[in-house]
Amino acid sequence: MTRLPSFVRFVSLALALLAGVVAAQSTTALRVASTASVTTWDPSLSFSTEAVYLANIYEPLLWANPAGAEEPFRPALATSWEAAADGLSWTFHLREGVKFHDGATLNADAVVRSIERHMAIGGAAFIWAPVAAVVAVDDMTVRIDLEYPAPVDLIAASLYGAWIVSPAALDAAAADEAYFEAGIGAGTGPYRLVEYTPDAEVVLGAFDDYWGGWDEPGHFQNVVVRIVSDQVLQEQMLLAGEVDMALSLPPTSYAAFAADPNYDVHTVVTPFNYVGFLNTTRPPLDDIRVRQAISYAVPYDDIIAVGAEGLGTQSRGPVPQGIYPWSEEVPRYTQDLAKARQLLAEAGHEGGGFTLRLTYAAENIIERAFAPVMADALADIGIKVEIEPLLFNQQWALAKADPKEAQDIFLLLYWPTYSDAGSDNLWSMFHSSETPFFNLSYWKNPLFDDLVDEAIELTGTDRATAQALYVDAMTILVDEAPALFFMDAGGWYAVPTYLEGFAYNINYPFATFFYPIRLAD
Amino acid sequence: MGLVKFITRRLALSLLVLFGVATIVFVLTRIIPSDPASLYLGPRARPAEIADIQRRFGFDRPVIEQYAQYMRALARGDLGTSLATKRPVVQELGSRLAATLELLVAAMLLAVVVGIPLGVLSTRLRGGVGEALVRVTSVVGVSMPAFWLGLLLQLVFVHLLGWFPAAGRVDGGLRFVAPITSFTGLNLLDTLLTGNLVAFRDAFMHLVLPAFTLAAYPIGLVTRMTRAAMLEVLSQDYIRTARAYGVAERRVLSRFALRNAIGPTLTVIGLTMAFMLTGTFYVEVIYAWPGLGSFTVRSFLNVDYPAILGMTLFGAAGYVVINLIVDAGQAFFDPRVRVA
Repeated sequence: MTRLPSFVRFVSLALALLAGVVAAQSTTALRVASTASVTTWDPSLSFSTEAVYLANIYEPLLWANPAGAEEPFRPALATSWEAAADGLSWTFHLREGVKFHDGATLNADAVVRSIERHMAIGGAAFIWAPVAAVVAVDDMTVRIDLEYPAPVDLIAASLYGAWIVSPAALDAAAADEAYFEAGIGAGTGPYRLVEYTPDAEVVLGAFDDYWGGWDEPGHFQNVVVRIVSDQVLQEQMLLAGEVDMALSLPPTSYAAFAADPNYDVHTVVTPFNYVGFLNTTRPPLDDIRVRQAISYAVPYDDIIAVGAEGLGTQSRGPVPQGIYPWSEEVPRYTQDLAKARQLLAEAGHEGGGFTLRLTYAAENIIERAFAPVMADALADIGIKVEIEPLLFNQQWALAKADPKEAQDIFLLLYWPTYSDAGSDNLWSMFHSSETPFFNLSYWKNPLFDDLVDEAIELTGTDRATAQALYVDAMTILVDEAPALFFMDAGGWYAVPTYLEGFAYNINYPFATFFYPIRLAD
Repeated sequence: MGLVKFITRRLALSLLVLFGVATIVFVLTRIIPSDPASLYLGPRARPAEIADIQRRFGFDRPVIEQYAQYMRALARGDLGTSLATKRPVVQELGSRLAATLELLVAAMLLAVVVGIPLGVLSTRLRGGVGEALVRVTSVVGVSMPAFWLGLLLQLVFVHLLGWFPAAGRVDGGLRFVAPITSFTGLNLLDTLLTGNLVAFRDAFMHLVLPAFTLAAYPIGLVTRMTRAAMLEVLSQDYIRTARAYGVAERRVLSRFALRNAIGPTLTVIGLTMAFMLTGTFYVEVIYAWPGLGSFTVRSFLNVDYPAILGMTLFGAAGYVVINLIVDAGQAFFDPRVRVA
């Protein structure tokens, strides 16, 4: 009989004797898979998917509650707040006894300095545009003075540009602008940033002095987030028990998880929507009738079915449902090929007979799925669509270059920076500007601009009137059709039944709050 | 030509190759339409912020000026800063190298441990079903795309059988149960050095599928090379003589035949290791293995100029060095090579 080398025998014995590594269900660590990479750890500069982590490390003055909640906001680092009668100042009363991760105590100075930094360099600095000054009234009271009325409660609850940061960290960052990038967290949130491996892993550890406390049993002491870009791989990891949660699962797996008794499937309304900008600088899309014809040709239900596996609703303009100032009064198109053909004929393009170049982000599987559906529908009215997948970076560069040379149709996934899609979605995507930001239709309409500008100013003091103005603006927008408004994307999460406390908040896209998630009894 | 002169000449040529690679990749990254400032800041950056970043990194300068700036930095050993991670590219290389090395070494070991015996076995089983099976296996290994094999292995061994984990180098919770003390960055070695058998097992189980996926091609290649070399050697007179003297067949194969046949196979193994560096691109992405390959893929998808250039140069340098070592070795043993 052949004798195995002794090393091989040793290893075999060792492997046979060893038990499994980590108990799947203990409060030691919540293991998560996420696609969210980190563009920056700087709480002021943050403007991308790192919000998943920052929302657990930092806190704002207040949180916005999901639509339908009893109160629109709940206290965070501020326990109460009020606006002056004229809407030109807001006062926030801070929570006592809050510690930063570095041991410093929360006070008005920390709030003032944080907001001033966000205003100066923030990726989302524009949300603070109405602010004239931030003042420490006393050690635990902050007043925000405005140049014009604005909804500071919405602004201060933003996912971007509203985190309150330790003063010591702000000092360090002032001396070294790359201070945070090594993986430094300096907030008051329930979790500290323990370790960061770029594009691989983020490890969060419980902050023992968190003001919210850890008395409730079942809280996780640590959160280990694996950055995994592939949804199918995330699914495999979840099914194999390698992770407890996967934050991005393939849409095609929804039915399987919904039928699996080991998982609770949470179907949610998200603030993400899909828009198709039409290049209004070039014929034939410079003709409103052609744009309306295309709007009538789009098969909205099919796009939702194919692109989002039915999880979504047709948009009413660019403001997503559940986010101010969405309104069901805003009109929307339904597919009507006869009407589309009629409009084309009126525009001098009977039977279509032209080609449009459509670009979408190659990384986006939903756009990849529904772009051909749209192309087929336009083919029915004689418009040929050449679909061109590009990396988002490249698609963006193309659109930002000369509009005359850019694409005809730009598919975009959008979401508001904070829970005011009037000053964000409507302004960013369609307000006139010399250098377009997100206005990739390159559309200009002074009446729309005026309505939006006026509504922005009224949102802080007379939200009802502002809402009405927004509806008027969106009605013009839909009628002139500088863009196609496909769908408000739904989402879903499959949470193992041994976990409880998961809740999605539409106001915080990308963010998953780990603190409330606990092992079920 | 003396050996020193030969190596010196090859080094000089290698530098020229690396210069050419750097220039070509630089040009290609600048041709592709992209917005590096948006990558650095995120897609929602305001025009003023983008302009500031473009000024700071010199993206608004003429391309030739950017090229000169890059080459000057390269001469200082500065590969620039990754636009996506905001860390020096050299740091990214360093932090990921061990993961890729571990994968490469494991795959090469598999190639040797599996491929050579299979090649020898196929000569013993000549004319039978066994030989056909080995030949089919080697052809499949050489032909099957790594990404397809990886997905197939995940489907069978992770999803259906549940024998191996799907992704990563270790379990996410390992650091809280049996944390690895890192000396070399090679998890298997470090865990053995510290006697951390729990972590060793976990790291081993995570390594099996990625290593086997990466090893498929070299296994097939080594099997075929070994088989071909063995068949040639086995037809030699001294083999016939050994058999005539009654030497056991096993000893004929291992002591006389394999020793003389292994040379070309070892050369190919060395060269294949450099080639496998590109194989890590697929394997590391499929298994979310945090190495150079997955980082390089992400860099290309993001058009992260500095990272692309840095990784490409690193890969080119690795290939050049390994080729140099192999050629120097051949030149050492065979002076005719120095003249050729």
